[in-house]
Amino acid sequence: MKVLELVGVGKRFGALTALSNVTLDVEEGAIFGIIGPNGAGKSTLFNLLTAIYRWDEGSISIGGLSIAGLSTQRIARLGVSRTFQNLRLFGNASALANVMVGEHVLLEANVLDSLLNTGRERRERTEAEKRARELLRFVGVSGVEEQFARNLSYGTQRRLEIARALAARPRLLLLDEPAAGLNPSEKHELVSLIRAIRDGGTTVLLIEHDMGLVMNLCERIAVLDYGEKIAEGEPREIREHPRVIEAYLGAPA
Amino acid sequence: MHEFLAQLANGVELGAIYALIALGYTLVYGILELINFAHGDVYTFGSFVALGILVGLRAAGALHGAGLILGIAAALIAAILASALLNAGIERLAYRRLRKAPRLAPLITAIGVSFMLENLIELWQGSAPVPFPNVIPNPQLQIGALEVGVQQIVVVALAIVTMIALHFFVQRSKLGKAMRAVAQDRDAASLVGINVDRTIAMTFLIAGALAGVAGFVGGVSFGSAWFLNGFGAGLRAFTAAVLGGIGNIAGAMLGGFLIGMLESFSTWLIGGQWSNVAVFSVLILVLVFRPSGLLGETLPEKV
Amino acid sequence: MIYTYALVAIAACVAIERFHNRRAKTAIVLLLAAFLAIAPRFYGNDAVFSVLADAAVYVMLALGLNIVVGFAGLLDLGYAAFFAIGAYTYGMLASPQFGLHLPFWVLLFLAAALAALFGALLGAPTLRLHGDYLAIVTLGFGEIVPQIFQNLTKYTGGPNGIAALDVPTFFGHSFGASVMPYYYIALVGIAAALWISRNLRESRLGRAWMAIREDELAARHAGIDVLRSKLAAFAIGASFSGIGGVLFAAKLALVSPDLFGFQVSVLIVSMLVLGGMGNIVGVVVGSLLLTIVNSALLPQINSLVDATFHTTIDLSNLHFLIYGAILVGIMLFRPEGLLPNRERRAELHHAGEAAGDA
Repeated sequence: MKVLELVGVGKRFGALTALSNVTLDVEEGAIFGIIGPNGAGKSTLFNLLTAIYRWDEGSISIGGLSIAGLSTQRIARLGVSRTFQNLRLFGNASALANVMVGEHVLLEANVLDSLLNTGRERRERTEAEKRARELLRFVGVSGVEEQFARNLSYGTQRRLEIARALAARPRLLLLDEPAAGLNPSEKHELVSLIRAIRDGGTTVLLIEHDMGLVMNLCERIAVLDYGEKIAEGEPREIREHPRVIEAYLGAPA
Repeated sequence: MHEFLAQLANGVELGAIYALIALGYTLVYGILELINFAHGDVYTFGSFVALGILVGLRAAGALHGAGLILGIAAALIAAILASALLNAGIERLAYRRLRKAPRLAPLITAIGVSFMLENLIELWQGSAPVPFPNVIPNPQLQIGALEVGVQQIVVVALAIVTMIALHFFVQRSKLGKAMRAVAQDRDAASLVGINVDRTIAMTFLIAGALAGVAGFVGGVSFGSAWFLNGFGAGLRAFTAAVLGGIGNIAGAMLGGFLIGMLESFSTWLIGGQWSNVAVFSVLILVLVFRPSGLLGETLPEKV
Repeated sequence: MIYTYALVAIAACVAIERFHNRRAKTAIVLLLAAFLAIAPRFYGNDAVFSVLADAAVYVMLALGLNIVVGFAGLLDLGYAAFFAIGAYTYGMLASPQFGLHLPFWVLLFLAAALAALFGALLGAPTLRLHGDYLAIVTLGFGEIVPQIFQNLTKYTGGPNGIAALDVPTFFGHSFGASVMPYYYIALVGIAAALWISRNLRESRLGRAWMAIREDELAARHAGIDVLRSKLAAFAIGASFSGIGGVLFAAKLALVSPDLFGFQVSVLIVSMLVLGGMGNIVGVVVGSLLLTIVNSALLPQINSLVDATFHTTIDLSNLHFLIYGAILVGIMLFRPEGLLPNRERRAELHHAGEAAGDA
């Protein structure tokens, strides 16, 4: 079952072609990596998936459903969550509140429930808080529930952002350079965490620069260069792929 | 037809004043992304300074012959200096500290400054409008079907000369180039050795000077100065700046003239009590449907 | 006397803010409520309760605006427009103007609904705008509404407004000339507003507002319908103002367009800024302080100065200066307000760091 399917996707910014004719399938339960040199179009791709930008050509579907014309929040409701390259936490709210915002799509309390603090609102809040605490434990940052997100260490913030994304129980989790700025032992823990997330039933699509981590973690990898997909396959194939070597080491003289 | 032309002339005159004030909003917004809410009151202040000088000179019997020309020049220059210094002072005391504050903080502060200025001007000059000395003779000239007063010509000419001077200043002078650089990217500008604080201060100084010119011509044109003048004129001018495309100098001028026309013709056609509604409706409609204004560029949201 | 009431209320608010024990907080709230309900039987006079009833209306307005500005982070500079809509609802439907004499109690709810509707109507097209632009649009709306009331003379009495509004009744008993019923209604109104504010802050919607205030893009990625959440804030906030408008108009028995200008909107914003945007208790303190300064302290200082120096200075001219000084002073030196909530405090003190990576 394909969770994500891109067919011939292209995106231009004025005269600049950011992506062209990208076709990609991500199978349910995969840990799928996207790599490529800076400016290859990786972040643009993520931004298309969450409707920050609209693509110009091709089609994108999630769980077999086209997301053409859908808003960011509708896509989130389809079960797509993401983290950001430069962390976008709610800095002046507690870690717990950050994760509880992530649960927004799972809750049903409407405006009237919120106004009157009805039974449904109270019940959901209790459950949401409990789940949020569990999630913080799951990503390995329990004990910081009441602290402001901005006061947490960088590594903790990265995990908190993953917890917030997971709180929506997504079927597809987009991680934008999750290992950036982490030290080797933190990277090691990140690998276990991402595997645990996948084992929990969430498909993971990640952009990453750390080649070792990607090769170790991902079952399938796609390589972008100048907006085009130049290779796709298992880590072993990618490592030996001539066009990938060329893209990373520069054209052979 | 006769009435139409008279309203047209009227609109151009109003528009010239609004354009001068609008330029101040646009310069400051361009460089700081701040709506300098107190700008309208800086204009009022300029008006009262010019008024004070003229009243003083008249009382001294100095407004005759060559003295009249000198007196008018003195009033204009005094208004320019006073408004420029006031505006720069506001920047230094109130806004500079807030440059990195959340976006609403400087706006709230600017509203506070505006309220304080209005109240102080009221305490200084009273709560009733003060007549502006009628120093520029105003014989009516007949040009075809168009009848205009000499005052109108002077007001518009003065405004246009000021705007042309501003245009060359911003395009050609070193400071003008620094202003454009800081408006584009403050950090980069500081990296190439531009003194950002000084450039911003100079921008406020120039914006204030323009408000001073507006204060003088506004006083001549309306025949009075009032402590709350700046609120209404300021909002109209801000609307003009937004209509033209905020941050865009040519846009502010275009917007100013369009809003002047709108006010003049709405007063003529549907009555003065509706001109506020008309102007603010334009403000809301432009912001909702074309926030970049007529001449502005639409910028994609940064992620 | 007025100061006794104000000081008791403010002291209780500060205590509530400082205590962390839930029971202690509840006890203080109940004690304060009992005091405000019972003390007027023994202590005070109509002049005092008139000021207190006005203060209570302002507290309601401030709590309503706090939902928009403090919770959702949207600067509304035209909040007085909804106050006007509430007041004119009563003025037009409970007066000789059209010969309609709808009951006060019905109009309280009708005004809340109408204000909320207009809040949504204004918000629907404009809430896509960010920060300053939204503030200016609301300001424009705030200027248009009283102007329209002024211009539609046939329906609204024009610049003179509508006078001789109905005196409300309660189960057949007329309020008469007493201000006490307004005082008690406003107290109940505050209690309801406080309850709703607290509910909202802790709710799913309240968390959505927090997210939008902190990072709108991240909020959208969490599946939050940003526009709808903002609309809810606008409508709920406006409805508080609508109810306040009915109380205000009924007590004054008069509505006129000059009562709802920009300075009223700025007054309410000043109350929020003074007390601490986003913090419910802080907002109550801010609005009490400003109302007391306006309606009691300034006139008293005025008469003292006049008596001492045999002058006839009019200090009521200083309102603008006071609001302005509060806005500037607080923003420069204590942006979190006098009684901040901890989120806003952190936000305002660390904003510089956040701006770097925005």
